[in-house]
Amino acid sequence: MELHSMDFSWLSTLILLLPLGAVVTLLLSEQHARWSALATNLVVLILSLGIAFNFDPQLSGFQYVEKSEWIRSLNINFFLGVDGLSVLFLPATALLFTAVTLASWNSIQKLRRIYFSLILLLECTILGVFTSLDTMFFILFWESTLIPLYFLISLWGVGANRRHAATKYVLFMMAGGIPIMFAFILLAIQADGNYIFDYTQLLTLKEANPYETVIFFLLLFGFGIKTPLFPLHTWLPLVSQEGHPVMIATVIGLKLGAYGLLRFAVPLAPTAAETFQGLLIALGIIGVIYGAVAALNQTNLRRMLAFSSLSHAGMILLGIATFSQAGIQGAVFQLLNLSLIVGGLFLLTGFLHQRIGSNDIISLGGVAKSMPLLSAFFFFLGLANMGIPATSVFPAELLITLSVLDQYTGVGLAILFGIILTAAYFLNIYRKAFLGECRHSIVANAIDLKAREKLIIMTLSLLVLVFGLYPQVILDTLSVSSTAWVELLKR
Amino acid sequence: MPNWSIALIPLLPLLATLWIAVGFSFGWNRAEKGEKETAYVASISILLSFLLVLGVDVSVFLESVQNRVQVATWLSTADYQITIAFILDQLSLTMATLVSFIGLLVTRFSINYLHREAGYQRFFMLLSLFNAAMLLIALSANAVLTFIAWELAGVSSFLLIAYSWHRDIATHNAIRAFISNRIGDAGFLLGIALAFFWLGTIEWTELASAAKEKDVSEIFLSIILLGFLLAALAKSAQFPFCAWITRALEGPTPSSAIFYGAIMVHAGVYLLLRLQPLLEQVPTIMVIIMIIGLITASYAYLVGLVQTDVKSSFMFSTLAQVGLMLVWIGNAWFSLALIHLVLHAIWRSYQFLHAPSFMQQINRPARPVPKWLTKQSWLYNAALQRFWLDSISDWLFTNPTTTIAREVQIFDEQIVDRLTGTQSHANMLSSLSHWEAHQQGRLILKTEIGTGSGLFGSFIQGLAAAFYWFEEHLILKSSGEGLLKLIRHLGKHMQSIDRLLTQPRYLLLLIMATFVVVL
Repeated sequence: MELHSMDFSWLSTLILLLPLGAVVTLLLSEQHARWSALATNLVVLILSLGIAFNFDPQLSGFQYVEKSEWIRSLNINFFLGVDGLSVLFLPATALLFTAVTLASWNSIQKLRRIYFSLILLLECTILGVFTSLDTMFFILFWESTLIPLYFLISLWGVGANRRHAATKYVLFMMAGGIPIMFAFILLAIQADGNYIFDYTQLLTLKEANPYETVIFFLLLFGFGIKTPLFPLHTWLPLVSQEGHPVMIATVIGLKLGAYGLLRFAVPLAPTAAETFQGLLIALGIIGVIYGAVAALNQTNLRRMLAFSSLSHAGMILLGIATFSQAGIQGAVFQLLNLSLIVGGLFLLTGFLHQRIGSNDIISLGGVAKSMPLLSAFFFFLGLANMGIPATSVFPAELLITLSVLDQYTGVGLAILFGIILTAAYFLNIYRKAFLGECRHSIVANAIDLKAREKLIIMTLSLLVLVFGLYPQVILDTLSVSSTAWVELLKR
Repeated sequence: MPNWSIALIPLLPLLATLWIAVGFSFGWNRAEKGEKETAYVASISILLSFLLVLGVDVSVFLESVQNRVQVATWLSTADYQITIAFILDQLSLTMATLVSFIGLLVTRFSINYLHREAGYQRFFMLLSLFNAAMLLIALSANAVLTFIAWELAGVSSFLLIAYSWHRDIATHNAIRAFISNRIGDAGFLLGIALAFFWLGTIEWTELASAAKEKDVSEIFLSIILLGFLLAALAKSAQFPFCAWITRALEGPTPSSAIFYGAIMVHAGVYLLLRLQPLLEQVPTIMVIIMIIGLITASYAYLVGLVQTDVKSSFMFSTLAQVGLMLVWIGNAWFSLALIHLVLHAIWRSYQFLHAPSFMQQINRPARPVPKWLTKQSWLYNAALQRFWLDSISDWLFTNPTTTIAREVQIFDEQIVDRLTGTQSHANMLSSLSHWEAHQQGRLILKTEIGTGSGLFGSFIQGLAAAFYWFEEHLILKSSGEGLLKLIRHLGKHMQSIDRLLTQPRYLLLLIMATFVVVL
């Protein structure tokens, strides 16, 4: 496996800037905290864009590699790097967190310093998850996402049961994290008594691990909880209903679990993955249909988005499970899309929540009258959610659907059915919440999007449109690495 | 003419859409003072497209432009190549000229018709989007590009049906229309995917030759064609999709004229005309098309006889005409179908635009329902009920789906949630009534530490209770006294067993039992 380094450690600068920013934010006054958070985010955004632009999509293997010793006796290293599949997550994460920071500008009133520094810490751990190439180092970041998230959900949540939701979330994620760690340890123990936690070395091992099936199922379970896959999804609607909608955009927009499946579960246990391909396909299609059907009956916008996100996660799993280049490209493209679309939709529900104090359709209705722009952008991102052409979801879903139909025609037909359901659930709840007569004076008197909010949503929508009209710019970056990914399975 | 100028034909109205949308977002073209600019942008863009189409017509006539023009690659992976390419033949140019011409006229008509309407900007934005989509359908050279335009036309149709969005009936009808169309879209996608796998191409002009070259069997070809046929039937509101189109008349009159009278309703026919070389290889599908055309035409004729408002009776006569076009296609009279399409589109758009002022110009009463129909009361009733197509689709699709949705929610809350962890609202005082119930002792919260729930939680809780009992009763009680007592107790029993075993008959029994086990 080729590793390309740079003469400056860009990735660790990117990751370490964030805790630094968090400390500065914590030291500043309540009024200035958000400025420091915004500044840190902008620097990280520019850096990550620079990394993405300087990334050479033609090279195979990992780039921007940094490696230094961490725990010598166990052969655990501080090891970072990105390839075509992961590099675009850096700007996507940075963009989403910048948007979240801007969206929290006025909507977070209490304990601002702590809130913004926790947001920065969360961003740090998520960037770490996307760049770690050492399995133990990955676990370190993976588990530390829980610390900021526990407090973010329980302290700034909007639901009455936010504490309960935070506990449930952390318990679920712990139940997923431990199997992953166990699987990584099983993988690391070699016949000659050495330990290998180096991801790139693990990929090039000649002999298959004797416990490959066990490892595969541990990883599938662990990452499946976070993705989420049916029936491990019950934390998702609860957290999205109880947490602060603006902050939840990061939890649901960035699907770390699906990334884990793509990066670790399948390539590290290739034979088992191929043996159980049918299981992956089945889990995927159940997710697509179950999520869409459950979303049909929701009365809360955020719960609807949560189930819709379950449906998307199923679609992504289907793309991964085809083990084909087009499927992988579609899946990663879709993951990137979700950060823009689901992120944007949750931010919009956040804006709505800040104005109305609720996302339940019973207290909405006729929103389009007083807030035409908010409704229009919600509709636009909703169209993207449905996979309407000219939005970026269309090429991604087209690639997934084509590669699934190629291998499993019956499952492909079920996806087509899911496409119809998606339109039905989104349009129905949209009609009830945004259209019709105004029933409440608080809705009738609410103000439309302000300049700051407009900036956030228009940026996200513009990107959705641009990548929809010209998807090749994303696919070119993914191309070489996704071919290499498919090759890995054939070793 | 340079190649990119062909791309401008659908692009110009699309840019107009974006311009109006951005203008509305930033607020520079809102309200009445923005009407003029909006109207200019929309009408100039479609006028330019029209002129460009005419230019292309002339240059194709003089044979200076090649038949297929590729502008760019839209998407390319190892397995799939999708280009942005346009096809310039008699069929596509006829359609493009027709679309841009009627688009121009309707845009001009709407400037006055919608003056001072709320949502003026929205209307022109959607009309431009629709023009762009239809021009792309007419010109695109491959199935994916056509599908993109196909869906955009569907979205603009949805938004125009829901034009008066504060009325519940309008929005409900818009959703019904869109979902019906979506079924056709699924068929379209299936057609695209299968054409990729079995024919290796999605270029309209290459489909037929690829089928011949690869010697694809007729069954595969019919499945591909059935996918596209489903899309065509849904878009053109042919049987069994006839029901949605009358719901679609909720939109403003100019949009009804261009969508359901003149242009979009013919998109399905156009798609079938595009597939002509492939259709000719599969006679069975041609027969199916003819039968569907006949059914639709007679259905629309019968239902049209009993309509009492202008727009609906126009709509049903449109359906009947489109049904006849399908009959021509089924008989392989493709040119006749195209001529019929063009003439019908022009006539019908005039008629629909005229519809609002129709009532004032007519002074004789509407013609009564013909005698022969009133005599056949069952047929009369069926026609009045529009052959129950709506209720049948409700009964077959809508109701089961909503029932399943309700059941899935119950399943999710009652079973999945319980098995995997705490229910969303267990152990919580989330409302005032909960709190009151708690105060009166009717609601007992399981809030002590160590309460587990879900499959795994209950298991852990049970295990914890067992360990607690062990610890409490045997070890902690008077510093290990409990355990001692238990051992003494067991010891006593062991002694008595020992004493029994010393007796020979029990010893013999034991030895026999050992033999049985060993042997």
